[in-house]
Amino acid sequence: MSLGVPVPAREGRPALGYWFRATWARLPLHAAVIGFAVLWSVPTVALLISSFREPSAIASSGWWTATVDTLTLDNYRTVLDQRGMGRSFINSVLITLPATALVVLVASGAAYAFAWMPFRGRGLLFLVVVGLLVVPLQMTLIPVLRLYAAMTVNEELPLLGGNVFGINSFTGIWLAHAAYGMPFAIFLLRNFFSSLPRDLIEAAKLDGASEWQVFWRIVLPLSVPALAALGIFQFLWTWNDLLIALVLLGDPDLAPMTLRITNLVGSFGSSYQLLTAAAFISMALPLVVFFAFQRFFVQGILAGATKG
Amino acid sequence: MARVLFDHVTKRFGEVVAVNDLNLEVTDGEFLVLVGPSGCGKSTTLRMLAGLDAITEGSIYIGDRRVDNVPAKDRDLAMVFQSYALYPHMSVGDNIGFGLKLRGASKSQVRERVERAAETLGIEELLERKPRALSGGQRQRVALGRAIVREPEVFLLDEPLSNLDAKLRVQTRTEISKLHRRLGTTFVYVTHDQVEAMTMATRIAVLNLGLLQQVGPPQELYERPANVFVAGFIGSPSMNFFQPVVRSEGETLRLDMHGLSIEVPARWVPGLLPYDGRPIVLGVRPEHIHDPAYLPSGVLPASIRATVDVTELMGNETFLHLDREGTRFLARVDPRTQATPAQEAEVVIDVSRMHAFDPETEQRIEAQAAPAEASGTEAVS
Amino acid sequence: MLGRRWWVPWLWMLPALLLLATFLVYPGIDTFRRSVLDARSDGFVGLDNYQAIIENPNPLVADTHSALANNAMWLVLFTAVTVPLGLVLAVLTGRVRYEAAAKSAIFIPMAISFVAASVIWRFMLEFNPSVGTVNAVVTEFGGQPTAWLQDTGAPQTWLTERGPDEIPGPVQLNNLVLITVGVWMWTGFALVVLSAGLKGISTEMLEAARVDGANEWQIFRHIIVPTLRPVIVVVTVTLLINALKIFDLVWVITGGRFQTDVVATLFFKQSFINRDFGAGAALAVVLLLAVVPLMLLNIRRFQSEEAA
Ligand SMILES: Nc1ncnc2c1ncn2[C@@H]1O[C@H](COP(=O)(O)OP(=O)(O)OP(=O)(O)O)[C@@H](O)[C@H]1O
Ligand SMILES: [Mg+2]
Repeated sequence: MSLGVPVPAREGRPALGYWFRATWARLPLHAAVIGFAVLWSVPTVALLISSFREPSAIASSGWWTATVDTLTLDNYRTVLDQRGMGRSFINSVLITLPATALVVLVASGAAYAFAWMPFRGRGLLFLVVVGLLVVPLQMTLIPVLRLYAAMTVNEELPLLGGNVFGINSFTGIWLAHAAYGMPFAIFLLRNFFSSLPRDLIEAAKLDGASEWQVFWRIVLPLSVPALAALGIFQFLWTWNDLLIALVLLGDPDLAPMTLRITNLVGSFGSSYQLLTAAAFISMALPLVVFFAFQRFFVQGILAGATKG
Repeated sequence: MARVLFDHVTKRFGEVVAVNDLNLEVTDGEFLVLVGPSGCGKSTTLRMLAGLDAITEGSIYIGDRRVDNVPAKDRDLAMVFQSYALYPHMSVGDNIGFGLKLRGASKSQVRERVERAAETLGIEELLERKPRALSGGQRQRVALGRAIVREPEVFLLDEPLSNLDAKLRVQTRTEISKLHRRLGTTFVYVTHDQVEAMTMATRIAVLNLGLLQQVGPPQELYERPANVFVAGFIGSPSMNFFQPVVRSEGETLRLDMHGLSIEVPARWVPGLLPYDGRPIVLGVRPEHIHDPAYLPSGVLPASIRATVDVTELMGNETFLHLDREGTRFLARVDPRTQATPAQEAEVVIDVSRMHAFDPETEQRIEAQAAPAEASGTEAVS
Repeated sequence: MLGRRWWVPWLWMLPALLLLATFLVYPGIDTFRRSVLDARSDGFVGLDNYQAIIENPNPLVADTHSALANNAMWLVLFTAVTVPLGLVLAVLTGRVRYEAAAKSAIFIPMAISFVAASVIWRFMLEFNPSVGTVNAVVTEFGGQPTAWLQDTGAPQTWLTERGPDEIPGPVQLNNLVLITVGVWMWTGFALVVLSAGLKGISTEMLEAARVDGANEWQIFRHIIVPTLRPVIVVVTVTLLINALKIFDLVWVITGGRFQTDVVATLFFKQSFINRDFGAGAALAVVLLLAVVPLMLLNIRRFQSEEAA
């Protein structure tokens, strides 16, 4: 049984029976994939439907009883009409994009050194970096806050707004997010980089490539799936972060969506229905990013490097 | 100019000594072939020259420059890897042009030279393709193209033909030889295939267990192998070895084995005299054992009877697998031979082409030079 | 590599190391210091804070034993379910034409902020079967509605006769429910990273194995799993550490009530609610130390890589 080998439609041959048998054999595969996909979606669908329902309906009946005519856009309207919602969306973008780029860039440089430059103590240092994964974020907040307070530059950052550095600054929160994402990023990328064929790196060196050129023209292009995966996660984690923003960004003009939504819920009491709508509004961009990155998961990126 | 010199070079990987005190000079424009069995240190030697592995001891010179600490990218060498190592994300054209581009050649220059290299190798139609869409032989050509386009001072090739089919292999072999003649650059070529070595090399260096056994032109290695290992490794099918005892008889020496006594030709006598009464290793190549009915001229015959185990007809010659009292050996005789399996046959050893080796040191026991024989082989102990 | 000056790798790692030192190493050291100081970080108290973790003098305020046990359960169950599930799903989804859609469905929970996740799950697990999805399904099949988040009984009591809190076993139902939510959120992570790794496996190798007569299971077991080992290690270690410092999910869904506290939530409570920085810091140090065995496990592997 060849599970998963696409069946070629052969010309000039009654392929229907063949096709049917192949599909039949693949039925368990389809059942498993679709089953998991549906199971995993139920809570999200529940949330999505609830976000279109009246508060009273949410409290008294299940989402599966909802009919199309009882749905309403009110929740979305209320959330989007909040003062500062637009600005907070922009803030989220301004925080997340540079922070993600920073992590990928800085971590890939370090990961390249860990993977392809032997130096004394490399293994130990790498273990320490991975070990730093365990440092709970909450634990670092007070020392970092104290540090930032001492280093705050109280001048307006051109273009973006906020302080130039320290508390209430984009630069400060970029660095913080980059640092917290660093151990995982280095860990992931080093393991990907070091699985590239050694001959390729050496061939490039003989072709006259400097370390930078090997990194930029060989290692990075061949690690696109890993970079895409890292990019997605870093984007999501930064986008969904509440705690760091809460501590480092007191200025409401700089607040990202997570912060704004939490405040919104606070000011409306425990209004679930607004939260559900807000959750989907804030999920929109991460999902777009995820779909956009999907195409970088290319099959067999290393095919053809060696003897056939 | 682009001579290469290994000066007492040693490479250790922890406990493993991959290359042991290598002294070797490759002169400018030479086609040097490194041969030896698997794991003998050929790739390691090449990689040290390329700057991919650090040298443990000794030093390497390219031209007059000592390159021990020069990084690979600054050595002006091109290498064809055992695995080809094509850049999978680049088209064939970009693969070939990558080195030029890195060295700052202009776009048009790169294109022109890539096209010229592709033409030389007959892969013009493939330039737009990715490596994954190529056959093994085509990949091999691209790997070669990537090396020649750079016009480096030295070419390094690590078993570039090892997974081509027999025909393509012979064809590419001649192409590489032609390429060498046209470019006139120094080539260092690694293989464990002694036919490749014999046909392509201007000189061959034989390695075994990290030790250089002998360096010399193919003909020298064939005619005067420095020791038992080289004698057995060079030449196909390989040399037969016997263990006769030397016995003096008046002015002459005789070799006794299996109730057989062969008179030693005069020019071997001085060398073998010290072995009187002791065994030696006698080497005879299959092509120097003949069917007495079809004896070429100039042979110094010594007759020997043996049982025929198997005959292999090759068309232009026949291999006889022979057995004399448990000692098996191979003869490469005229195809018209009448020898048939399971029967006794008489064959003739051409004693003038014999080789003698010390049984302990396995080193060659020299004969006095025959009038026409060339000299110049360096025997490395 | 030859001719590389010794400081070159350090230059490549410099930005990453600076970030790590500032945001993770320095706060980590600061936490060690605080863990031997009193509640206000004024006086030296030696190992008193650690002793309190062991002796658990005040289980009603901060039940350290329960938190440690819960964390251990998270560590084992969460990882043991998520990694294999992610791997199997990565292989399965890679074989259907709607790969992107299927992966997205499983990935979406990753894109949901913790605030939204808490809303979803409080809906899903609501006691009232006409609102709570899970209890609706349970009652549909003739079962009794369950207080999923409050029930500290062992799961087997639920299977037989109902009664919350009746048998406070080592495996509490509500903890299992929280871990299930964790699996739901993080399977997408394992799936995406493993899938990125899967794309790097040469199709030629898989074809070679098929030609050799390997069936799909043998290919999975003997080709995919060994080749993917570095990536599986990344995912496993990341998930282990995530389980170790799990915080948000517990915090937003139960707030650590009903004996669902883990070390990180307890740390947060002690530091920021009970204002006992010493006790909090000691808990954080316990988390940091928990990663040491994991590193020791890896150290030999890295040393052997180093020698190569
Ligand atoms: N990185 C390494 N670490 C440890 N030992 C090594 C390493 N590279 C090579 N060796 C050892 O050094 C010896 C020589 O290896 P080398 O690759 O030079 O052999 P080779 O002559 O090229 O063989 P082949 O014909 O099989 O390619 C072998 O015993 C090999 O096991
Ligand atoms: Mg080799």
